[in-house]
Amino acid sequence: MPTSWNNPAQIDNYLGNNMSNGDALVFEAHLLLNPELVDKMQWQQKTYMLVQSYGRRQLKQEIEAVHQQLFTHTKHSRFSQKIMALFKKL
Amino acid sequence: MRNIYHSVEQRQKLFIQLYKTAFPAIAKYISRLGGTADEAKDVFQDVLIIYYEKMVAQALPEKDIAYMVGTSKNLWLQRYRENNRQVSLDSIDIPASEAETPADKRLLNFLAVAGKKCMDLLKSFYYDQSPAAELAQQFGYSGVRSVTVQKYKCLEKVRETVKQKSLTYADFME
Repeated sequence: MPTSWNNPAQIDNYLGNNMSNGDALVFEAHLLLNPELVDKMQWQQKTYMLVQSYGRRQLKQEIEAVHQQLFTHTKHSRFSQKIMALFKKL
Repeated sequence: MRNIYHSVEQRQKLFIQLYKTAFPAIAKYISRLGGTADEAKDVFQDVLIIYYEKMVAQALPEKDIAYMVGTSKNLWLQRYRENNRQVSLDSIDIPASEAETPADKRLLNFLAVAGKKCMDLLKSFYYDQSPAAELAQQFGYSGVRSVTVQKYKCLEKVRETVKQKSLTYADFME
């Protein structure tokens, strides 16, 4: 176990349950003694949350691009016509 | 199953295929109940996101069309039938992530521009869970080791930006 407790890799391993039980216990002891480590861990958790939101945003854009492709390219016109026909008002 | 859709092109193929196999049944159901094409689109796109996240978490069999159709129906009923248009992605059956506050949105907009390179790398590691060997190639690093080193550098850089900006935005918001 390296001695640099504050590095993002250690925090990543701890939060991702990728530490041995022994290392996790030592890490937790450091958390008790080191408020700076607690602070860094909290901001890292926030970072993961933002990366998740960022991932969703990107995925949503990719899906929208697929939608546009399916509903505007002539290659897919049979598909899009079939769908649009379902919503035609009688 | 393991997520094998690590690139935009691979995902594009997957989504086209899912659109063609699952969307007609969903659109038909929603149109029968008086829903609109836009509602069907919104619901289906959210279901694709849920589906993708479950697939990455290996919590779904591949191309589970029945799951997609069922989830779309439920989501449409919740959103448009029960007059509750505020049902968000997080309230259905994906693991809830913390709700985005206005400050988070600003922060995300900032990171999407100023920290795009790092955000793209972190997103590929954590959101898509792509293997390091593939990411090394995709992002132009010499190997697993150097892309992993870069991941942690990015994590540290983004973490510090998040901290600084969050404190600034919090002051600004109050």
